[in-house]
Amino acid sequence: MLKEKIKSTVTELLENKRIDFVIGYGAGSDAGTVRPAFVKSVEEVEQLIWSPFAVNNLAKFVMDHLYENIKIGVIVKGCDSRSVIRLVQDKVFPRENFYVIGVPCKGILDKNKVAKDFDLSGDLVDFTEQGDEVILKTSKGEFKLRKEDYLLDKCYRCETPTPVVYDVLLGEEVAPFRTDDYEDVKAIENLSVEEKSRYWDKQFEKCIRCYACRNVCSACNCRDCVFDMAEPNWVGKAANLSENTAFHLIRAWHVAGRCVDCGECSRVCPMGIPVNTLNRKMIKDMKELFAVETPGKNPEQGPVLGTFRTDDPEEFM
Amino acid sequence: MKRLFEFIGFEPGRFHARWISGSEAQKVVETARKVTEEVRALGPNKKMRDDRC
Ligand code: SF4
Ligand code: SF4
Ligand code: SF4
Repeated sequence: MLKEKIKSTVTELLENKRIDFVIGYGAGSDAGTVRPAFVKSVEEVEQLIWSPFAVNNLAKFVMDHLYENIKIGVIVKGCDSRSVIRLVQDKVFPRENFYVIGVPCKGILDKNKVAKDFDLSGDLVDFTEQGDEVILKTSKGEFKLRKEDYLLDKCYRCETPTPVVYDVLLGEEVAPFRTDDYEDVKAIENLSVEEKSRYWDKQFEKCIRCYACRNVCSACNCRDCVFDMAEPNWVGKAANLSENTAFHLIRAWHVAGRCVDCGECSRVCPMGIPVNTLNRKMIKDMKELFAVETPGKNPEQGPVLGTFRTDDPEEFM
Repeated sequence: MKRLFEFIGFEPGRFHARWISGSEAQKVVETARKVTEEVRALGPNKKMRDDRC
């Protein structure tokens, strides 16, 4: 079982002092939630779990250990692995300080979708997967569901189910079996000017400027963030529609070409703003304009907007 | 930039970007004229107006 494999791998790494600690998943407050677990010693390995709800992208946590002479093990799914490339490419965290424990992934369940049909308020005791079915054994009962009906939106368009970078891979590679059609972005593009404006005004209005979307983001890795600065005051701090629109536009441009499309920003937003859709619009445009891949997918491809090719399209000339 | 502006509901033509060298006087004039005309046709901007000064 994956959970046992994770534990034995981490135990061995810690025993042989190959890593200082590992960032993995621990049990959360209910069956549909996991929490990041920081395991520093063999005694703590028991905390580690694997869950069909293991949604968090754990790579960003290494940023709490910049400039330390340290080796950190991180458990990553396919999409999260793009963040590792991001952090290495941005020279935020060196590759040699990572020990990447890759988990090939066939999709993670969206707890909000599952909770509509099943009671997730108990603890997750165990789970089994048979083909397309998952049986969740929780302290409140056993539930059987078809995975395909309850995946995270991003999993329906996953391009990298197997991590693109890893030091050890726990399980068989999963061949990419989906493509991204950007239907969510196209749906908004097809609206009229007024409808677009109304849609985004309604979203931006809700923003409380908590910056959770920034904090969780592996592309938001600047030492000093413009949104924190008061001197100069690049962006107004007031939470009103204009300032919020400015905030969202600026953030979208700051991560353009570097956003790895992990979807974490939308997930953590307490106000339910589809933050990631702005970034996905940028990715879609960049793919069309510059024939590039999703950032972080191909380690050879540098940041899109930091690259110059003489045959780049020049719409503004 | 222009594409993202339009994605969130600015009118096409509200925002222009042009690469003009210091020696291209004619292009500056033409661009300024075009921008003025297009923006005048659109009327006053309504987005991002509250509290920004
Ligand atoms: S996007 Fe891909 S790698 Fe990430 S959780 Fe979904 S299926 Fe797994
Ligand atoms: S997480 Fe949501 S509410 Fe918080 S700053 Fe980001 S968009 Fe605004
Ligand atoms: S902007 Fe959102 S989707 Fe992109 S890397 Fe950051 S958290 Fe992930």
